[in-house]
Amino acid sequence: MLALGIETSCDETAAAVVDGDRRIRSSVVASQLEHHRPFGGVVPEVAARAHLELLQGLVRRALEEATLGFDDLDLIAATTGPGLIGGVIVGSTLGKALALARGLPFLAVNHLEGHALSPRLSDDVPFPYLLLLVSGGHCQLLAVEGVGRYRRYGTTIDDAAGEAFDKAAKKLGLGFPGGPAIERAAKAGDPKRHPLPRPMIGRPGSDFSFSGLKTAVAHAADAIGRAPTDQEQADLAASFQESVASSLADRTRNALRRFADEFGPGHTLVVAGGVAANTRLRQVLGDLAAREGVRFIAPPLALCTDNAAMIAWAGIERRRLGQEDGLDVAPRPRWPLDAEAPPAPYAGAKA
Amino acid sequence: MDAAPPRVLAIDSALAACSVAVLAEGRIAAERREAMSRGHAERLLPMVREAMAGAGLDFQALDLIAVTVGPGHFTGLRVGLAAAQGISLATDRPLAGVTTLEAVAAATAIADEPLVVALESKRADLYLQVFGDGRPLGAPMALTPEDAVNALPPGPLVLAGDGAARLMTVLASGRSVRRLGPDRPDAATVARIAASRHGTAAALPPLPLYLRPPDVTLPKAAAR
Repeated sequence: MLALGIETSCDETAAAVVDGDRRIRSSVVASQLEHHRPFGGVVPEVAARAHLELLQGLVRRALEEATLGFDDLDLIAATTGPGLIGGVIVGSTLGKALALARGLPFLAVNHLEGHALSPRLSDDVPFPYLLLLVSGGHCQLLAVEGVGRYRRYGTTIDDAAGEAFDKAAKKLGLGFPGGPAIERAAKAGDPKRHPLPRPMIGRPGSDFSFSGLKTAVAHAADAIGRAPTDQEQADLAASFQESVASSLADRTRNALRRFADEFGPGHTLVVAGGVAANTRLRQVLGDLAAREGVRFIAPPLALCTDNAAMIAWAGIERRRLGQEDGLDVAPRPRWPLDAEAPPAPYAGAKA
Repeated sequence: MDAAPPRVLAIDSALAACSVAVLAEGRIAAERREAMSRGHAERLLPMVREAMAGAGLDFQALDLIAVTVGPGHFTGLRVGLAAAQGISLATDRPLAGVTTLEAVAAATAIADEPLVVALESKRADLYLQVFGDGRPLGAPMALTPEDAVNALPPGPLVLAGDGAARLMTVLASGRSVRRLGPDRPDAATVARIAASRHGTAAALPPLPLYLRPPDVTLPKAAAR
């Protein structure tokens, strides 16, 4: 089975070809970083325009690099939400058009399901497993029981973790995007230099909160009273990163215990999403998994950040179950994986 | 060049409607048209499927894909362009752009007076272009009705497009103005325009015509 995947839900335009034997035949990503950098963040209308400009060329390249043509494909899978709606509309519409003109099934993939199933593409992880999904737009813990079967254990009640990285980096004058900038600066910093809050630690459950931490970083930066020196930047970045990592680990520990109660011991903890690229976070979660006696999987970085291979793979998983979507399917700015979970009122789409 | 007229699939979803037309052997073999203020992304491709089935054509039988590139509503024009790009890519057929303003002008009877096509933008401004004898007399513009008055030729006018009513309110009451032509572009006209330009230097590239930069302001204090 060969699937073409399309991803356009945020600021990466991506296309990929993946086969049923878990081989990524091609995966191309065009970052729009330079389009958005002058604005210090992702601008939805700028993103939508860039997706329309870039996507055709990427689909062509994905097929070329895979040395395959449309005749070889068995399905077209495109992210149809959640995300910035302008981009989602471009990718899902182009995907539908390819499917219609080629007589192929169209799979409207939930971007979060792409992340959720990515460890099965990279590491063939069996169901069920616990997923920590951390990115610029999302922060949640999910029990992944099967394709289309997700139960949310916890979510952010305000900001996503990646958003906190972006905002802290902006406050420290480290630029955009904040994740890599903070991580780079933190290398030379002392994580104990600033006693920042470690949000939610010790509380029951698995919800997250990063809004207070973001404010604390802003206050610490303001307290310096002038532009921070490189060392001051590094110390604050390291303290911030440590605080986020320990909060994520604390919430994940609670979720792992609940997961063990429900499914028994010895399963897998998976971390996915753009923030999973953070080395310190991987380290902390790896240590946690070892203490709790579960396997730890962090898919390769290229599969953690937004990409179309995971979308193609989610299409394959769903197609194997006989699923297909109509050409009338609506692009969705919000599309929770666990529709039963109560809304987190201040987090909006991030929950 | 082929002597036979090209078979064209044309799409418009740039304004408050979706329309799809298939031009084959020089006539409209099938068309679909629905007015809608939202939901273009849900309706457009099912309408394409219906029109192709109605024309009894396979996608590989097409010679050309045509689409309105704007000016129009940003979301709607991207729906049309993404759909047209996908079909063009999947069939390896060329893609031609037609502006919404010229599609409305082409569907309006030629008169002695200059023709002003005015389309609603959902904002304060109107999308405008002036035509004479069926040819553009200037570039497409985005202007408020008040500013548009100064950009229009003097004397009697013909107005077309769904923005005509709003433009009319600012024109001097003594001025001779006639309302003609359709409110919106139609895929059948888009197909004919694209067919007439096919293989000529007049063919327009399928690039979006936004006429307005994204609504965003640069941060006051630029990041270091």
